[in-house]
This record gives sequence, structure tokens and C-alpha cells, in this order.
Amino acid sequence: MARTESQSNDKFAGSWFWRYASPAAFFPLAGKLEKLCWALAAVLAAVGLYIGFFVAPTDAQQGEVYRVIFIHVPAAWMTMVIYMAMAFWAATGLVLGTRLSFMMSHALAPTGAIMAVVALVTGSLWGRPTWGTYWVWDARLTSTLILFFLYMGYMALAASFDDKKKGDRASALIALVGAINVPIIYFSVKWWNTLHQGSSVRPGSSSMAATMLTAMMIMTFAFWFYCVAAALHRLRTDIIERERNAAWLRDTLKAASQ
Amino acid sequence: MSLRGATTAVIRRELQLFAQRKSDWANPLMFFLIVCSLFPFAVGSESEKLKLIGIGVIFVGALLAAMLSLPKLFDEDARDGSLELMLASPEPLAALILARVAALSLALGIALSAVTPVFALFYALPFDVAAMLSLNVLMAVPTLLLVGSIAAALLVSARGGAILTAVLVLPLTIPTLIFGAGAALKVLYGESPAAELALQAAFMLLALALCPLAAAAALKISTD
Amino acid sequence: MIWESWAAFWAMGGRGLFVWGSYGVLAFAVIAELVTLKRARTSALKALHEHHEH
Repeated sequence: MARTESQSNDKFAGSWFWRYASPAAFFPLAGKLEKLCWALAAVLAAVGLYIGFFVAPTDAQQGEVYRVIFIHVPAAWMTMVIYMAMAFWAATGLVLGTRLSFMMSHALAPTGAIMAVVALVTGSLWGRPTWGTYWVWDARLTSTLILFFLYMGYMALAASFDDKKKGDRASALIALVGAINVPIIYFSVKWWNTLHQGSSVRPGSSSMAATMLTAMMIMTFAFWFYCVAAALHRLRTDIIERERNAAWLRDTLKAASQ
Repeated sequence: MSLRGATTAVIRRELQLFAQRKSDWANPLMFFLIVCSLFPFAVGSESEKLKLIGIGVIFVGALLAAMLSLPKLFDEDARDGSLELMLASPEPLAALILARVAALSLALGIALSAVTPVFALFYALPFDVAAMLSLNVLMAVPTLLLVGSIAAALLVSARGGAILTAVLVLPLTIPTLIFGAGAALKVLYGESPAAELALQAAFMLLALALCPLAAAAALKISTD
Repeated sequence: MIWESWAAFWAMGGRGLFVWGSYGVLAFAVIAELVTLKRARTSALKALHEHHEH
């Protein structure tokens, strides 16, 4: 059976990982990190949007509509990155038995699903004027859609258990199964795509002006910090819900409100 | 009892049960038949049109039919207590699960792939395409059941388990669908389906190696 | 400033609907998530206080 946290703590006493694996120690730290991430996300988004809309030139081929790239590509990347992070924390939870790891996975999933929706909708709004259709079954859009299904399945599974501990481990297992499948699905879809309709040309892949790339990268970091902040906020709410009997929580919240 | 003895005993018991409870395999077959006969009503009956969608419809129909029998893997055993015995057995749980999936795959895979050529007639598909489709259904059913056994194990006797199983498992079967239907399409276009068949076999072997272990872990989690 | 006028900025070369539609969807998603986060926190804190009073 999984080790309990107190046993682990004795064994790895002094190690920072185990110290912050306890909700009591992580709760205040997460609060500070969260604030920092919100601030960074806001500043970076402001800078990125300014460069994207007022410095980056008009694209020679696509005109102005390419400016969707500044949110579409970061959202698509976050969809992928968050799934991998989710699977990583799920694996950590299953191997080490740390409750906080499972909670981290749960906290990431809704944000990942939202990023998938944003990537899909902006992708099709970009696609309509660029290649004349709202949807193409291209490998990247299709795998984003499948990732969205995987996020929804993960969340539905986690919610279907009354026993939270069971739900934690069950959904972690399905996150791992999904993570093993994601590359297989991606390459299968890619292969299928070239078979059926010749590879579609994605805009923005070549000859991007340096300022366009700069804006896109800054926006990517803004998205990154936003996602971390949202996940940490959700994590702290989850801790409040699960630790309602813990004395430390009462003390921490009291100290914070004074 | 040796491991081999235990697994063959499980397979034999399962197959005997299938022989007794005809609804276990007859209902998925009826479902398959009905799904396949619905599509022409929606798209029209011109044989050229049907030929184009037939492969996909039949393949998806077979996957959905196999999907329907996933709750059969563990639910009944959880109700009558034999799951407890399985968990307490000294034999490795993964091997016992593999034996059950193997029995279900044998019964269902053979049944579904045997009727596939008949449905291919509905869609005006030539005989060689029908044969290739049949072979691919035979390979896809075990892959789906292996992957599905993980979800079925997690959701043993959970409320709304059947629909959630489908939500969890169907996205993971996309590679199988791509290459299974792809092989039949290649035959339809007069090309060699060797690459698709090899990949299809590879997925089956990969699922065979990994899924029983994951399903055993899943069963331990859900019955904890 | 690369735009000739604010009108040109909002028009986005005739593709304003698609560009601002995309950003609108993002804004909606972010605001919806923030509202959900806030609500979940409020109800968690409320439940906690009720729990402590009993």
C-alpha cells in the first residue's frame, strides 16, 4: 500500500520536497506563488498584446488576421503542457502516495480543458478567413480536440467517486494511460492526415518577423503564468475543502485575515 | 494450481458462461446490425455513396458493440462476490484479468468479425475489402477490450459507469480505428495494406503487454 | 503607431470579426474561469466557517 505522508516525512526529513508535500506547509507558499503568477501574467499579457498589435507588422500573406496567433498558439501549447504536467503529478502521486500531487493534477485539469477550447475556437476563427473553412482535420487541431476529450474524461472520472482518495488514484491512473496514448494518437492522426488530404499549410510556420515571434513568446509566458496561478488558486480551494478539520488551516486563515 | 492452469480455467469458465448466456454476445451483435443498417437511411441508398462510408460505419459499429460488453468484464463478479475471490487469489491479478479479456475477445471478436462480411454486402463493398475489414475487426476488438478493461476495472459498480467507460475509452481507440479502417480503404483503392496491418498488430501487442497490468492496478484502486 | 487610425485598428484589414471574435472568446473563457474560481473559494470558506461553528 501507499506510504502515508508522515512515514515519508520521517524518512526524508529535511528534504524540501517532502516538507512542501504537506498541505500545511504548501498552502502559504502557494498563496505567495499565486499572487506572483497573477501579476506576471497581467504584465506579460499587456506587453505581449502591445507588441502584437502596435509593433508587429502586417503579415505579407495573411494580412491582419494572423494576429490571432498571439493567443491561438500559446493556448494550443498550454493544452499540451498542462496535460503532461497533470500526468506528471498523477504519476508522482501514485508512486509516492502524496495527496498534494493528486490535488495538483485535479487543479490543472479544468484550466487545461479551457485552454483546449480556446485553442480550438480561435483556430477555427483563424481558419475561416485563412483557408476558407472553420475546421480542417489537421493533425494539430485534431489532437487538441482529442486532448479536450481526455481532459473531460479525467474530470468526469474524478467526480464520479464519492470517496475522494479513490477518485484521486483512479483519475491519476487514467491520466497516465492517456499520457502514454497521446503521442501514439498524435502520430496516428498525422499519418492519417497525410493519407487523406495532403498536409495542410499552417500559417505562421515560416518567415515570421522577429517582432511577431517576440509577441508570441511573451504571450506564451503570460498564458503559462496565468495557468499556474489559476491552478494554484484551485489547489488552495481544494485544500480548504479537504482539510476542514485541520487546526493549522484555521490558524493560517485567521492570520491572513488580520 | 499453476498459473497456466488458473488462466486456462478462467478462460474455460468464461467461455462456458458465454455458451449459457446467449444475450452476452447476441445483444452486441444485434446492436451492431442495427447501427449498420441505420446509416443508409440518413445518407441515401446509392451504392457509390454507401461504398465510401461503409468501411467507417462498420468499423465504428463494431467498436461500439464491443464497448457495450465492457461492463460484463467485472460488474457481475463484483455483485456475486467472485471478484473478491479473484483479488484474494495467489495468482497474479494481471494474468487473471488477461484471461478474462482473452475469453471475451475470443467470443466477441470472432462473432463480430464473422458477421462483418455480411454487413459489407449492405454497403456494396467488394469481397476482398470485406475480408480485410473482417480481419481488422478481429484485431481491433481485443485491443479495445484490453484498453477498456482499465476503465471497466476503475468503474466497477460505479454509478453511470457504462457511459463514462465509453467517454474514457473511445478517444483512446482512435489509432486502432485509423489503421483498421485504413487497411480496408487501401484494399478498396487497390493498394497494399501491409503497413496498416503491421501497426494494427503492434497496437494489439502493446495493449497486451501494458493493459492487464494497468487494469490490475485499477481493480485494486476501485475495490480498495 | 502602425495603424492609420483607430477605425483601421478595429477593422483589422476587414477581418475584425475573426480577430476580435478570437480575443473575445479568450476574454470570456478567462473571466468565466476567474468567476468560477472565486465562487468555489467563497463557498469553500463558507462551508469551513459553518463547520468550525458546529
